[in-house]
Amino acid sequence: MDTVTTGNQAAATAIFDLLKQFITEVIGEEFVEEMDIQPSSSFTRDLEMDSIEIVAFSEKVKAHFGEHIDFTGWLSGMDLDQLINLNLNDIINYISVCR
Amino acid sequence: MPLIQINGKAVHIQELNKGAAETVVMVHGMFSNLSVYYFNIAPVLAAHFHVVLYDLKSHGMSERSPGGYDLDTMSDDLLALIDGLGLGRVHLVGYSFGALISLKTAMRFPGRINGLAMIEAPDPADDKTRGIIDDYSREFLEHYISNFTDTTRVQMGKRQLERNHRMYEYLFYQTSIKQDMLAERGFFADNGIRALIHQPLLIYGNRSNCLQAGYFLAQRIPGAVLQEIEGDHNVPVQAPEQVAASLSQFLCAEVAMV
Repeated sequence: MDTVTTGNQAAATAIFDLLKQFITEVIGEEFVEEMDIQPSSSFTRDLEMDSIEIVAFSEKVKAHFGEHIDFTGWLSGMDLDQLINLNLNDIINYISVCR
Repeated sequence: MPLIQINGKAVHIQELNKGAAETVVMVHGMFSNLSVYYFNIAPVLAAHFHVVLYDLKSHGMSERSPGGYDLDTMSDDLLALIDGLGLGRVHLVGYSFGALISLKTAMRFPGRINGLAMIEAPDPADDKTRGIIDDYSREFLEHYISNFTDTTRVQMGKRQLERNHRMYEYLFYQTSIKQDMLAERGFFADNGIRALIHQPLLIYGNRSNCLQAGYFLAQRIPGAVLQEIEGDHNVPVQAPEQVAASLSQFLCAEVAMV
């Protein structure tokens, strides 16, 4: 059981690092340096990403995970409040479940 | 980020359900970008269609351009995009300024357009609409604040304000967008509108300050159907599910007719 949990955590950490890299590519390193990106960081409130930046981020997620996940479909099921409150953990969990 | 060269400029596009038999091209409004469709409306249409979203020049992630914001040039750009993607006939959906571009494109290149849907097309001759750019600038910023930051908890961040401000400053003071829009004042009097062979769907917010333009177009264009949805000019953001359902129903019926 411990092994499984550790494995999951390692996978979650790897996904987090990847998402952080995508965010850096989208908004630029100079801005990311000033931020403390955490799994609990929300895209709009904490990272101040606007909608077109979230589009660019989504494309990177889709390009990397390909057909394993229906990322756009998942996002399209969200209302405005859910999109506003979306954080990295939500995406890490979604990707983990899909894989 | 997919960029293609259109008339010498890099254009940001997004495609969903590539390979579907029929294509819908969606045109966003002034000071906005393709994200207005990306999250909630395009995925619904992508259940049936290949959907192409693009950022207008100087908007979103497309390359800047100092001129060519008149409807002829904007529709030339749209046709070049359709050609560049190797598409024959497409369906068009436009919102606000994008609706005017879509209408102009259907008027000029009727054989290339199947279904035509216009959301919140404003009348460029309207006094209220002539102040269009100032109104839109406020709405644009409010749109971001109300939709992608939570005003009850946080103000728009410094980086976003700067980004928005840069685009605003560029479009207003370094491009011909204002003059080009003013030069379109007579557009609704164009006989081509009365002669339109398409029977478009017109979607307006029932509280929109553009609703009169909707009544005018519904009366002027043979076979046009007007649908009012609860909301104002921002109806695609306020009621994306209803807008998507209306578009989907309309475009699927257009396909059935063909």
